Amino acid sequence: MITADHLIKTFIRNEKRNKKREINAVDGVSLRVDAGEIVGILGPNGAGKTTLLRMMSKLMRPTSGTVSIQIKQMQVSDDIEAKRHIGYLSNNTKLYGRLSARELLQMLGVLYGLSEQETAKRIEVISEILSMDSFLDNRIEKLSTGQTQRASIARCLVHDPEVYIFDEPTLGLDIISSASIIDFMKRERERGKTVLYSTHYMEEAEYLCDRIVMIHQGRIIREGTPAGLKEQMGKESLRDVFAELINMEGMPDEH
Amino acid sequence: MNTKIIRTLLNKEMLDVFRDKKTVIMMLVVPVLLYPIVFIGALQVMAFINSSMKDQEYRIAVETDDKGAFLDWMMQSGEQDPEEGEATYRITAVDAAAAGIGEGVWETALEAEEIDAYVSVYDSGGRMQYDVYYLSSVTNSSYAADLVMDILDEFREDLTRQRIAEEGLEAEEILEPILYERKNTASSEQSLGSIIGSVLPLMLVISLLMGTMYPAIDTTAGERERGTLETLLTLPIMNRDLIMAKFLTVAVIGMVSALLNILSMGGIAVYMYKIMDLQTQMEDIDLMRFIPAILVCILAVFAFSLFVSAVTMCATSFAKSYKEANNYITPLMLVMMFTGYIGFIPNLELTQGIAMIPVANICLLIRNMMVFRIDYAMTAVVLLSNVAYAVLAILFLSRIYDSESVLFSDGKGGLQLFERRENLTKGGVPTVSDAMFVMAVTLLLLMYAGSILQLRYGLAGLFMTQMLLLAAPLCLVIYTRRDIRETYGFAGAKLQAYLGSAILGVGLFLVNLVIAAGMLRLFPNSAENIETAFSTVMGDNMAAALFVIALTPAVCEEMLFRGVVFHAIKARHHAAAACTVTAVLFGCFHMSLVKLIPTGLLGLVLCLVVWQTGSIYPAMLMHFMNNALSVVISFCPEQIGKVFPVLYKSSFSPAEGLMLMGAGAVFAGIGAAILRRRSDTRLVL
Repeated sequence: MITADHLIKTFIRNEKRNKKREINAVDGVSLRVDAGEIVGILGPNGAGKTTLLRMMSKLMRPTSGTVSIQIKQMQVSDDIEAKRHIGYLSNNTKLYGRLSARELLQMLGVLYGLSEQETAKRIEVISEILSMDSFLDNRIEKLSTGQTQRASIARCLVHDPEVYIFDEPTLGLDIISSASIIDFMKRERERGKTVLYSTHYMEEAEYLCDRIVMIHQGRIIREGTPAGLKEQMGKESLRDVFAELINMEGMPDEH
Repeated sequence: MNTKIIRTLLNKEMLDVFRDKKTVIMMLVVPVLLYPIVFIGALQVMAFINSSMKDQEYRIAVETDDKGAFLDWMMQSGEQDPEEGEATYRITAVDAAAAGIGEGVWETALEAEEIDAYVSVYDSGGRMQYDVYYLSSVTNSSYAADLVMDILDEFREDLTRQRIAEEGLEAEEILEPILYERKNTASSEQSLGSIIGSVLPLMLVISLLMGTMYPAIDTTAGERERGTLETLLTLPIMNRDLIMAKFLTVAVIGMVSALLNILSMGGIAVYMYKIMDLQTQMEDIDLMRFIPAILVCILAVFAFSLFVSAVTMCATSFAKSYKEANNYITPLMLVMMFTGYIGFIPNLELTQGIAMIPVANICLLIRNMMVFRIDYAMTAVVLLSNVAYAVLAILFLSRIYDSESVLFSDGKGGLQLFERRENLTKGGVPTVSDAMFVMAVTLLLLMYAGSILQLRYGLAGLFMTQMLLLAAPLCLVIYTRRDIRETYGFAGAKLQAYLGSAILGVGLFLVNLVIAAGMLRLFPNSAENIETAFSTVMGDNMAAALFVIALTPAVCEEMLFRGVVFHAIKARHHAAAACTVTAVLFGCFHMSLVKLIPTGLLGLVLCLVVWQTGSIYPAMLMHFMNNALSVVISFCPEQIGKVFPVLYKSSFSPAEGLMLMGAGAVFAGIGAAILRRRSDTRLVL
């Protein structure tokens, strides 16, 4: 289980004439994702999704508020320790092109504190799940987009984390590749893992998520199950719900 | 520190770096293949040219107005069998008139290379005059002229001896009444060492910079450009382990590359020595004597590579791309390379003071080692200070890797100078890359155009140089559509800002006087240079000197440093960083070891004034005050000397130094206090 409690992230932007302006990219977000649950974060560009997920996965420190992780009723307090239980994936987490997928996974195994044998076993299992056998020993820079994304997911799996945080994992992928990623998330939910992910694809969110959190200008504007949200707003699809809500709030100002 | 994690990361970085062709080429191919090919190739070409010139037959036409005396002499010396090991060229001397290459024709013959030299012979007031005509543009012709000159020397000496003998005197006693010879008591190892000692440090600095540059960029900016940095940050590892691994990668590659460079150069040196040894009988050199020096050198390379790696990584860590990192690293490399030339400055001793100056200390240490002047205490200071600076730089590096604004920045900070103008958004201040680039360009302009202009036109040349300093950055600012007022800090300031900075300027001037005297004590050889350079530039017109030396730099240098450079850095980083970097650049910019600290300090205070007041004008006033004081002092020695004789001393007694320092501090304190006082009256310019 992962919980965010009143998270705020303030960036300082330089303006003209030595003036600085503070902007809250994330402005008091509280949310909770339980084990065995998939929660989807929806929001327009610049809503603060990436910043929120970076803080949840302990890459960024919140200006105020806390992120806590509980594994089997045990609180993980240390940030470094927390990273052992998180698998974080975003478009900014690229892989080392000059290494092969196997070399990368071997290195990560050591860094996550696994023994050589454990790592080797994990690589076998992961390669099986993501059917990576054919390209496991090729340099990553030579792989196709779909293969690279599978290798990226393999990267998050090495340490078999309890919490998955995926920032737009299906962006720019073809239907087959994104389907395999969606299947993967569903399978992990069955295994009792905690999944938090962001996307722009409404149908995908509607199909996959137990709960949806909509954020806009750093704040949560609505949350609930896909069915509940549609009912609340009296709309046919999640897409309409989303459009209606953003309209009500007004587009983010560009300054 | 978790050694297992560091080892794993180190392995990964090494693998990553070595699979990059660029690094491997810079590190292995250049030293191991290119140097030997270039050096030995050049050697072969030279040998070929040499031998072909010696095998050549040279045709020389000689006039016979001296009854053919010189022609006969030449024919004789041409027929002589060459001695063992001597050149094997042949000289064919012909009678110019007989061969039909006499007056009026020989020029064309020389031009057409039918003859290589022409000797005209005529009577010049009772003595015979021999003029050797040749074409300096033709190699054979100039070589032939040299040969003829040598033969003329012999010819003259022979005649002299004949004449003396005719007078019935002893030729030897007259020609050489005394005998003398120069004898070198330095061992041949010492002579060799002194040559190596001045060249090796520079080579070392350059090869280390080249060797560390690519891995430093690759592991920092390169990693960010490829988007793998955030991946690393998801791992359960401490920042310091990550930095340690990256640092060790760069340092190890730097060391290996520097050692390869040295081995390769050393190999070439030994090879050349063997060749020369075969050709000419050289004094025996015992290479074994160099072994302790070489061992210390290797230690120095290790310590120095730690320093260079850490410092270059600090610079590249701010960059988001290879291109940007290259811009940050260029000024750093220029400064280090310049400092590397210190090995060539004669009589500069490795003192306690210099032992603390990075780059300079390593260069002088190696030079001392090579002439077998070994001081273990000093060696320890040098090595330790390098390690200490490296540690400081690593600490700084870990601050960078802790800063989210650096790690997650959007990448809008690169060089915009080469973007299409219409793609640039209007307003704001130049990027740091742009500022650094223009800084490097102006530095080059200053070095080449500046020195020529100043030598040629004196004071006017100095003015032109300053205009270049103004123009280059201004072009950048206009081309990249930046906001001029914002970039240069053209904003009104309070009245007391001007008053305060003027008084602060006087105070700082006094303090700097003492510091400069202290620096002169450290580097006594630079004293005369500076004074003569200063007085030649000044000229004798005080108004002109004030205009060019005080007013112009106050405007131009301020607009470059406190304008473009300072504001570019300050817009993206902490103001303290902007002040420090600008001050260091300003200090280095004056390209004088003695002036480094005083100008650096001046630069720092000027930055603080701009930061405090938000306007560049008070800084300009303060800069003007500072420069004007030195102009006035040097123009009015009588008037001012009567009241303040202390200002004309180049070194102070401790009491005088303290007094000046104290007076300076009081002025500076008053100035700073006035500067900081709040008030609403603004003097808008």
